[in-house]
Amino acid sequence: MEMTSERNWRTRVGDWFDERFDVRIPLEAFLKKPVPKHAIRWYFCLGGITFALFLIQGVTGILLSLYYRPTPGEAYESILFIMNNVRFGWLIRSIHSWSSTLMIAFCVAHMLRVFITGSYKNPRELNWVAGMFLLLLTLAFGFTGYLLPWDQKALWGSTVGSEIVGIIPGIGGWLLGLLRGGMEITGLTLTRFYGIHMLVLPVLVFIFLAIHFVIIRRQGISGPL
Amino acid sequence: MEEPVNPMHDREVGQPVSRRGLFKYVLLAFSALATAGGVLTPIIAYLWPPKQASAAGGGRVQIAATEDLPEGTGEVYSVNNKPVLVIHTAEGYRALSAICTHLGCILFWNEQREVIACPCHEAYFSTNGAVISGPPTSALEEYRLVVEDGEIYVEGGEA
Repeated sequence: MEMTSERNWRTRVGDWFDERFDVRIPLEAFLKKPVPKHAIRWYFCLGGITFALFLIQGVTGILLSLYYRPTPGEAYESILFIMNNVRFGWLIRSIHSWSSTLMIAFCVAHMLRVFITGSYKNPRELNWVAGMFLLLLTLAFGFTGYLLPWDQKALWGSTVGSEIVGIIPGIGGWLLGLLRGGMEITGLTLTRFYGIHMLVLPVLVFIFLAIHFVIIRRQGISGPL
Repeated sequence: MEEPVNPMHDREVGQPVSRRGLFKYVLLAFSALATAGGVLTPIIAYLWPPKQASAAGGGRVQIAATEDLPEGTGEVYSVNNKPVLVIHTAEGYRALSAICTHLGCILFWNEQREVIACPCHEAYFSTNGAVISGPPTSALEEYRLVVEDGEIYVEGGEA
């Protein structure tokens, strides 16, 4: 009965990794950093909830990509296929759609909390900037994802949304063409938005999330009011 | 003097599991399993190959346009996950099971000789599904076929 308890088993696995990578102390410092008492409040969870929603978007988005086809002829058909033929396709797509709205809402709520508690102030200015980039990236996710179902709502939503870029004096028309891949919304816009939604934005979000998290661990949560 | 055992801490080596400790483990295991099941079940079901071109309950399935199938030609289509041979002869369209009644090979339409042929054992069927020659002993099952607005529909098959 000596060395068979659960605790010993776990310690031994930990030792095995620690011997090779010398990782226990830095990892424990990272994972077991205590949360200060004033921060144990529901409104200090808003950023974490946003991150959890981002992870949900990642998982459901990958699942949707297995059936979605980004061509004008097939995009809407593939959406119908996901909703009607794929088992739980309605659930996965609905979670993706609703979580996108919730993610933006929680981003803004998190931002309000940081603003009200004054957490953006010196020395945390750059983390506010990183958070601003994350908000813009989240909005870009929502905007590019909106076109992908390729129905009337998507088409006109994207038409109106991208026309806003077109009214910038001087370079507006040029930017509009760059965004749409032409002056009209066509199949080129669809593949462009799909590529941005699936590849460009996730990479950028991961970079800014890493910055956001490293800074918060380095500086700690801001003090009480 | 017996030390009181705190059930919320890991038990001492060799100690029997307390009532509360057992409860804690069972609840934890149940919660973990229920959560994993609730999340993984839809994901695995989602990844499972979905039904293709099927009508719920084995109803009619649109397979092709009439111009895709000129007279004298025949093509195998998947109808509710069953291969169905649709041929266009002088008498019109006809849908027959494309599974050879001998050993289950997939039949094809021989345009030159205007017969249904099996690639496995030299079996031939006529345009109404009856055996002409070869090892099969029974005729091909026929499916109901409807032509509407230039589109061919086949009814039946397994849902």
